[in-house]
Amino acid sequence: MDEKKIIKVIVSMIGLDEHTVGGVVVSSFLRDAGMEVLYLGTYQTSEMIVHAAIQEDVDVIGISSHGSNYSQVGDLMDLLKKKNMNDVIVICGGTIPKQQIPKLKAKGVAEVFTPQSTSKSIVDYIVSNVKKERMAG
Amino acid sequence: MKRETDYGHPIKVVYKPDDIEGFDYERDLGDPGVYPYTRGYHPNGYRSRLWTQRMTAGLGSSVETNRVLKKYREMGERGGMCVICDRTFAMPIDADHPMGRKEAGVLGWPGGSLLEFEELMDGIPMTGQSVTLLSTCACGPLQLAYIVIYCQKYGVDLNEIHGAATSYPFANCFGQSDCQPLDLDRKLFLDASEYAIRNGIRIRSALLSQHCRESGLNDAQALGVEMAMLNELCGLLVNERGLDFDDVASLPYELVSIGIRFFEEIAKMRALRRMWAKLAKEKFKAKKDRSCQLLIAVHTSGRTMTYQQPLNNIVRTTIETLAGVIGGCTAIDNATMDNAHAEPSELAARMSLNTQHIISDETGVADVVDPLAGSYFIESLTNKIEEEAYKIWDKIEDMGGMFAAVKKGYIQNMVETAMRERQREVESGDRVIIGVNKLVIPPEEEFEIPIKEVKAEDSEKIARRMEEWKKTRNTVLIEESLFQLYKDAQKEDRYNLMPSIIEAVKAYATAGEVMGVIRKARGLSYDPFNMIDCPFNFG
Repeated sequence: MDEKKIIKVIVSMIGLDEHTVGGVVVSSFLRDAGMEVLYLGTYQTSEMIVHAAIQEDVDVIGISSHGSNYSQVGDLMDLLKKKNMNDVIVICGGTIPKQQIPKLKAKGVAEVFTPQSTSKSIVDYIVSNVKKERMAG
Repeated sequence: MKRETDYGHPIKVVYKPDDIEGFDYERDLGDPGVYPYTRGYHPNGYRSRLWTQRMTAGLGSSVETNRVLKKYREMGERGGMCVICDRTFAMPIDADHPMGRKEAGVLGWPGGSLLEFEELMDGIPMTGQSVTLLSTCACGPLQLAYIVIYCQKYGVDLNEIHGAATSYPFANCFGQSDCQPLDLDRKLFLDASEYAIRNGIRIRSALLSQHCRESGLNDAQALGVEMAMLNELCGLLVNERGLDFDDVASLPYELVSIGIRFFEEIAKMRALRRMWAKLAKEKFKAKKDRSCQLLIAVHTSGRTMTYQQPLNNIVRTTIETLAGVIGGCTAIDNATMDNAHAEPSELAARMSLNTQHIISDETGVADVVDPLAGSYFIESLTNKIEEEAYKIWDKIEDMGGMFAAVKKGYIQNMVETAMRERQREVESGDRVIIGVNKLVIPPEEEFEIPIKEVKAEDSEKIARRMEEWKKTRNTVLIEESLFQLYKDAQKEDRYNLMPSIIEAVKAYATAGEVMGVIRKARGLSYDPFNMIDCPFNFG
């Protein structure tokens, strides 16, 4: 796989979460870092997100979340598995209670970025992990 | 570290008389209780009425939220209660909707029917305290209906009720949305407001800057947008609905977000009182003094609460609460130390309520009205933020007002630019946040605080209850009342839907059903997410 290919990322809210600030800010600095970002916005179901991921052949799905019960992120991971999309890296960010983090990771979420994470930490994580994934692929 | 105000105005090392050149006490401030009310509305300040000390509740089922409300009263909540709606009711869709059932009871109270409100208020007095139900625009009319019907049903005098239950139609720009189109939200806001005003119901509407501020706007922008909203929405009620401004003026309340910029936050509140007073008197020709007094409640900023070293947030909340108190307000609900993690734990809520009580009962701060008046710095800041806010407000007016500015994407762009700038400031260290970009500690040194968790089963349980309960209702009554609503919703936009909404709610139609029928009558899909069909056949 071409390592120089531009990194494509979906940034989305899931379900009824309407807190858009985090997702908008993250989208903006991922673009500044040279990535192609598809910002899906609010009211996305796991089906809609997976559909967009297939259509656009993305490397990463970033779910911005402001408090939930997180079952929908679980649904998203199940659906990705069902579609054999194990190469897509899923990351979450936002006000996510710490008890949730191991549960999300157990579901296959690669990383969780809590509030006040720096743009550098998120960009670096995506760049190095997409690189790994592409080399493995 | 930059030495400038939140809105980018340089701060000098010392302030002197020439910083408030031309200052005229009577014109610019007036005594407390005297126009232009910069110093507040009550000659005796908090000695005549202490601010309402409250904490926002809402999580899990209605029964659970009721338990928390009672607990807050034990913890010293006084003067009023405050509940926020969950994600499903915010839209509104029902808890048993395919999208609703995954998030019922998340971040708020699942108020999808009159039954939920009855459970919420069980054993809690409707009078003798303010009843504040925070909402989106679209669920506002339903909440107003709950209050009206509850009073009829349980023999409470509606005239004795005061509080707030409805909300402004622009929150969708600030990430606090329902999923209804702007023109429908506009109509619902006007219908609910007109109904409350014409019937003398003292239930206010949230026309608030808290959302703009929390989504990233600076203080001057938030103040400018707030004034533009007040101007436009009050204007619509006067001009489009034919109401008297002196009646309209008692409708709005502002929930101001108080951040960490101590003196600036105080100046902002003083400027807001003065700006509203001038708008009311000069533009709307208010006849009553009361109409020049905008009710201001305070929410200390959840956005300033950090994930790292959450105990630091107790300190931040204290400073912000103190600013709110000195600024002069009617009510405070303050943020909690765990805000960046989850909904408030009992400990966190207790700490925040205690913070209010320590300030009111121990410090003596509440004894003197507007204690910082006359300070060269405070008066200069008050003038400056007012000046900057007028510029922003003027720009919005030049575009044709708030609805026009929202349709052109102007407000949304302002928010997006502001939030990016804020992130840049924090990352560059221009804006210092202790524990985040200064004095950072490794995670293993963090002090563990209790964090409240929501479980997916809880949402499913709320959904299943609604599903089962729906089957037990009197369907004939529901269909009749919804058919009337359907017919009324097809009439001209100025035809007020509140009476037919009230009848449907009384028959235990759910929020999703009521809104679905209104949507259908307006040529929209019954379900905003197009997942379920309309269960009613209106021919």
